[in-house]
Amino acid sequence: MRRLNECDPKFKDQVMAEPGGENLIRCYACGTCMATCLIRRSDPEYNPRRIMHKAILGLRQDVLSSRQIWMCSACDDCYAHCPQNIHISELFKVFRTIAQHEGFKPTGPTARVNERTCVACGLCVEVCPYQAVELVQKRVLGQNKTVSQVNAALCMSCGLCAASCRSASIDLTDHTDETLLERLQAEPQPEEVAV
Amino acid sequence: MVDAARHPNIKILSYSEVKRVEGFIGNFRVLVEQKPRYVMADRCNGCGLCAPECPIEVPNEFEEGIAPRKAIYIPHSQSVPLVYTIDMDNCIQCYKCVDACGKLDAIDFSQQPTQTWLDVGSIVVATGFDSFDPSTIEEYGYGRFPNVITTLELERINNSAGPTAGKIVRPSDGKLPQRVAFVQCVGSRDEHYNAYCSGFCCMYTIKNAVQWKQTHPDADITIFYMDIRTPGKSYEEFYQRAREMGIRFIQGRPSRINEDPATGNLLVQAEDLALGEVIELESELVVLSTAAVPRADADQVSTTLNVSRSPGGFFMEYHPKLRPVDSPTDGVFLAGAAQGPKDIPASVAQGSAAASRAARILNAQKWEIEPIVAHVWEDRCISAQGKKCGICATKCPYSAIVVEQGKAARVTAAKCHGCGGCVAECPHNAITQMHFTDAQIIAQLHALLAKEPEKKILAFMCHWCSYGGADNAGTSHFEYPASQRGLRVMCSARMDQDFVYEAFRLGAGMVLVSGCHPQDCHYISGQRVGAERFEKLAKRLEDVGISPQRFRVEWISAAEGSKYAQVIHEMDEALRGMDPAALKEENSRVRPELERRLRRLVEIPSVAHALELKIGV
Repeated sequence: MRRLNECDPKFKDQVMAEPGGENLIRCYACGTCMATCLIRRSDPEYNPRRIMHKAILGLRQDVLSSRQIWMCSACDDCYAHCPQNIHISELFKVFRTIAQHEGFKPTGPTARVNERTCVACGLCVEVCPYQAVELVQKRVLGQNKTVSQVNAALCMSCGLCAASCRSASIDLTDHTDETLLERLQAEPQPEEVAV
Repeated sequence: MVDAARHPNIKILSYSEVKRVEGFIGNFRVLVEQKPRYVMADRCNGCGLCAPECPIEVPNEFEEGIAPRKAIYIPHSQSVPLVYTIDMDNCIQCYKCVDACGKLDAIDFSQQPTQTWLDVGSIVVATGFDSFDPSTIEEYGYGRFPNVITTLELERINNSAGPTAGKIVRPSDGKLPQRVAFVQCVGSRDEHYNAYCSGFCCMYTIKNAVQWKQTHPDADITIFYMDIRTPGKSYEEFYQRAREMGIRFIQGRPSRINEDPATGNLLVQAEDLALGEVIELESELVVLSTAAVPRADADQVSTTLNVSRSPGGFFMEYHPKLRPVDSPTDGVFLAGAAQGPKDIPASVAQGSAAASRAARILNAQKWEIEPIVAHVWEDRCISAQGKKCGICATKCPYSAIVVEQGKAARVTAAKCHGCGGCVAECPHNAITQMHFTDAQIIAQLHALLAKEPEKKILAFMCHWCSYGGADNAGTSHFEYPASQRGLRVMCSARMDQDFVYEAFRLGAGMVLVSGCHPQDCHYISGQRVGAERFEKLAKRLEDVGISPQRFRVEWISAAEGSKYAQVIHEMDEALRGMDPAALKEENSRVRPELERRLRRLVEIPSVAHALELKIGV
């Protein structure tokens, strides 16, 4: 049993104070987002409606530690259908930003940079549709170096940066080049497929 | 309707349109245009021999387009009056109806529209509502999938006098559907379309489901809902009965309806909230409970009758709680769904109330009005001197002022509601408002700012909203600083710019003008008259040299006590943050210019006297 008085009623205010989080309390839990969602087709556990309800109740730990807040792909199909006009992908971005500020490690897929091989050409910064990549000054192996850095809160794990990287310095946590190649080779070859 | 038609005191003008309304409570003149039926009402006996002979078939509006009607038709079998009408847009003038009519000789192709002026004492608006067109919600497939229908279509299919003689069939193949899904809140409670709840859809859907279950006990019926709203007497019990009959209720708003092209069946997708899972339901028929929306011609009716509209588009009542049947225009009343979505009992109740409110006027020899009406000093009005003006008439929300060149402006007292917009707008100070004269208000102003004016916030408040808001702040224990001094007038339209100049001339620290939010204005457009003026006034005050933070405009409703307190808090803080010496210096610097702008104030009758009284000093 949950004791609701132990929830953090200020959590929703914190979310709503961030740009993109304004409409959180307008959710009246009709379930349209959940029924529209593409992600839940591959992961039945995923439920944006429930995450929003938890945020409204103030179940801060549940929301910020949830793997689900890292899974939204921002296809915005739910936004188009939401009768309360809630931009859910933006709201989830707020959850991720707060989670990152408060030290929660991204538990969902995200892009990551191999700082040793990165040459800071900036191609990834240009291709990223979510402005999640930037070039930063960092100490790598005892040397000052410009490298690209991925903001996991903004990254949607689309893989554009990984595919365009000329030095193969970016890959996705869930889909590294190696695992993708392995899967590709494990797939039946075209001639083996029964017609 | 038949009873109404037979009543000696009721005259029905069907197939007619109100073109113009003039006059005022108890003395309206209404111009009605009677459209040509091309059938003589005094000869047609409604025998119906003409219609079968007519070769033209068009969709029948009464049957929601699912059945045809002829070009010569009656809307439905119980039509009152029972007189046929030729729809000239579709008639090919083959004259077969003339032959069928025979000796009655009721058909007359030469009829023209006729216009009549009627003298009436009161007007009741009962124009009803329209049904939301669900084809705009693409994911529900209405218009694309034949088996997705609206409730009104189901009502016709289910009606024994309807096109299928009461046999329930689905459009694609004419078979009786065994599995049916009802979808609630289509176009209502949805920010994309209508934010409001249409209110009666839950009950009629349950009614349709129960009716279906009674005639087809094996039918598998599902209702998708967000919240079931059954607040009326015995309504909840009816809902319980539907559950006991085995009708399935699923809380969850469908996100999509897909069609199986092979069978014409529909796949409804939704999250079942109780289950926390997305479900899919195969249905043979889907019925959409569409929102009730204002009539398409509500704008035209609103202009003709001078009845304003609420944010949802329905006609606005004078007061939502205390005068829910009256419109803002005296003598015009609202009944039924024209005023807002409502079910049959509520419509009947409001209709009865409107009729009795209207009858009070018809039976009265004299009609008492509020005494706060506008009055023109004829010797001051420049229109009487043959000059062009007429500003007062353009500002009046009730068209209560008539200006003829060469004559002084004339106020029809019975139409005037006393907002005071004309009084404040008259550039020649030729109009006053009874009980809110310039002299009275200026006397109050002087009394309020008699001591230490530079430490005071002078707040002009409108009677209905911001005064209510200040009152609400008090009753709800929202404290605000005691530096506030309130001055009540009826509407923000009455807040003359001279009052603000005079307040600053007397050295007021801050001036607040506050009134209703535009959609809440109790004088239709009074707030807008005020708002326009204050926008210009803010610039003028800056030109004079008054710091902008010393003048503030806020719209505060009667429910916003906390906002009122907040505004006063902020202004008080700003006032205390200002250097008193600088404030005094500013006041003495702007005084000559303010005096120049106010030089004509003393010309207004009894203002000079009010200024001499030096109340409270």
